[in-house]
Amino acid sequence: MIMIKRPDESAGAYTGAGNRFLRNISPGWMWKSGTSSCSSLRIGIPRMFFYYIYPGLWEAFFGELGMKPIVSRPSTTKTVEKASQISETEHCLPNKLFDAHLAELVGKVDMVFVPRVLSTIKNHLSCPKFGPLPDAARADIARGTEVLSIDIDVSRIPLSNTLLLLGKKLNIQKGKTLSAINSSFSAMESAHKKMARPNRIKGSPRFLLIGHPYVIHDNFIAGPILNKLESMGVEAKLISFADNTPAKSYILWSTANKIYHELNTLSGEDYDGVIQLTVFNCGCDSMMIDTYRQLMKDKSIPYMYLMVDEHLAQSGIDTRVEAFIDSLRWRQ
Amino acid sequence: MTYMAIPNIGNYTIALATAVESLGIKAWASTATTPAALKLGIDAAPESVCLPLKAHLGHFIEADRAGVEYAFMVNSVGTCRLRYYRHMIGQILKDLGLKIKIFGLGFDGFKPPIVRHFDPGPITFIKPLFHTVQKIKAIDELEVAAWRTRAIEITHGDTTQAMNKLLVELSESRTMAQTRAIRKKAAACFAAIPVDKEKKPLKVGLVGEISFLRDKCLNKNIEYILGSQGIELRNFFLLGEELQNITRIVFLNQSRRKSLSKLADRYLQNSVGGHALDSVAYSIRCADEGYDGMIHLCPSGCMPEVSIRPILKRVSKDKDIPILEISYDEHTCGVGIATRLEAFADVLMERRKKNNSPAQRGKRAGHG
Repeated sequence: MIMIKRPDESAGAYTGAGNRFLRNISPGWMWKSGTSSCSSLRIGIPRMFFYYIYPGLWEAFFGELGMKPIVSRPSTTKTVEKASQISETEHCLPNKLFDAHLAELVGKVDMVFVPRVLSTIKNHLSCPKFGPLPDAARADIARGTEVLSIDIDVSRIPLSNTLLLLGKKLNIQKGKTLSAINSSFSAMESAHKKMARPNRIKGSPRFLLIGHPYVIHDNFIAGPILNKLESMGVEAKLISFADNTPAKSYILWSTANKIYHELNTLSGEDYDGVIQLTVFNCGCDSMMIDTYRQLMKDKSIPYMYLMVDEHLAQSGIDTRVEAFIDSLRWRQ
Repeated sequence: MTYMAIPNIGNYTIALATAVESLGIKAWASTATTPAALKLGIDAAPESVCLPLKAHLGHFIEADRAGVEYAFMVNSVGTCRLRYYRHMIGQILKDLGLKIKIFGLGFDGFKPPIVRHFDPGPITFIKPLFHTVQKIKAIDELEVAAWRTRAIEITHGDTTQAMNKLLVELSESRTMAQTRAIRKKAAACFAAIPVDKEKKPLKVGLVGEISFLRDKCLNKNIEYILGSQGIELRNFFLLGEELQNITRIVFLNQSRRKSLSKLADRYLQNSVGGHALDSVAYSIRCADEGYDGMIHLCPSGCMPEVSIRPILKRVSKDKDIPILEISYDEHTCGVGIATRLEAFADVLMERRKKNNSPAQRGKRAGHG
């Protein structure tokens, strides 16, 4: 039994011009001014990085422990504006957005949750930017608020044990934590299924959208592109990170390795093309894009990458997507 | 004669060139990336990778054009992009149709592939390695002496001249005895430079990414610019120290790394990757030791170094030490860097005057 409750169905209205099915993935756990009388602890979860890496897990886990999880609103142009004001100028776009999400929560919650995601798959690594994330939050943006943090290092400790430790840190009985872990894992599973679902259009051409989970599911970064694909009657499937057991390769970054294997096993009959979503200043992607492109070239599957930065304009995206799809249609 | 291209790590390339002799071949290298090589690298590499990769790539392309058959690239076991450098450089060189063959330091069995390929005799192999250690020690000493002397020299350029002379001698030294003699001579050489002993120079620490701490072309000769403005430097990348650190991790304990993480614990509880932990820990140490300021260097978009910048800002506020953050990309101009450093030096000088005024001193004592 999953204990997630939706406080307000109209919460999705926050996304503004966001994509319909992105809204569906993430139930709006939002802070409401009237509910602060509740004695339970309000814990803030920024809607970035680990929220998308472990979708649905954190709300379910903290909810089950009797806390009140509050997730920041999906990112919009306003979030980006805020981010460019407060964040370090040389961060990648998701890291800037993370800072803005964090700033939104600070002051409204008793505690913010920022785990240190060191590895999500055994013998793999995460992006090095996740290493100092809680420390950076403590140093700068979440300075006035308590930052709850835990090291998620699946190479050393399995996720369930990490969650047990987290429960211990919060002084919660072991039995209660165990049941919370079980229900939160099933919540994550269903969230993963929801996230992988392609948009409802069945049509041609059919695309695979690849990129980091926090890039392809973010409202600001992926929203305009998904909207455009939908309006052109194109079927797009988002890469799923639910299956966490990719084969070993020379790439140790878990997401990059997962994408590499997905592309390696891809056949031209499944998809008409691959679109990669990447963000400005992403270190992992800067090393990997050439490898992906070469892979796709060898298999003669059309490949395009779209780089998103703070100055994302719908018209620019439209032109590139249209040109790509038109050229594919002529090819057929 | 077979040649092998090795990456440039500043003056330490002289020592590494000796290490290559242990394979029975000669090294092809320079102590700084040339602008022409950098341009070649920028043209060949993907646009958003970090600048050290472009510099190394350009260096290897230049080597191939000069007819060098082999190249050596360091391996990293860290989390950042350096780990994929060798693979990526190899791939790009292959795509360009170049024949140069890149080796790493990986082990697959008893002998590393690089040793197996050249198969030197045991004496040929061991002797130059001991010589390399001697040379690294010598270069460490030269660097430390140069930072001190350059800040207080009376005739501008004396230290650089002495340093260059010694480095040339060191690169020509073929035996251990010669290197030992140079080490002895070096102290006398630096002592002979006329200095202003009354002067109390500003003290500044350099932290950040290693290519930029070491490569004079990449960092636009920052050590010289700072030194000639009368600033005593401490560059926190000394290869001797670094090697000691690595061997200690492998053989005995992690004492240095442990002490660094203990030092930085209040601000950063993870080693992140690259030299991010070192940057934070040394900034804290320098603040405690009474340095006037810190300079943090990194290539634009460097994954570990950029992600700790909010923490460095906090250290700067808490410990009251100015930290100048400089990011380099391919368009960085030496004059721009010099201007920023001059302004920084002026700020530090004014700060020192203000802090030393009687009113301020009383205020500080009051705070305890």
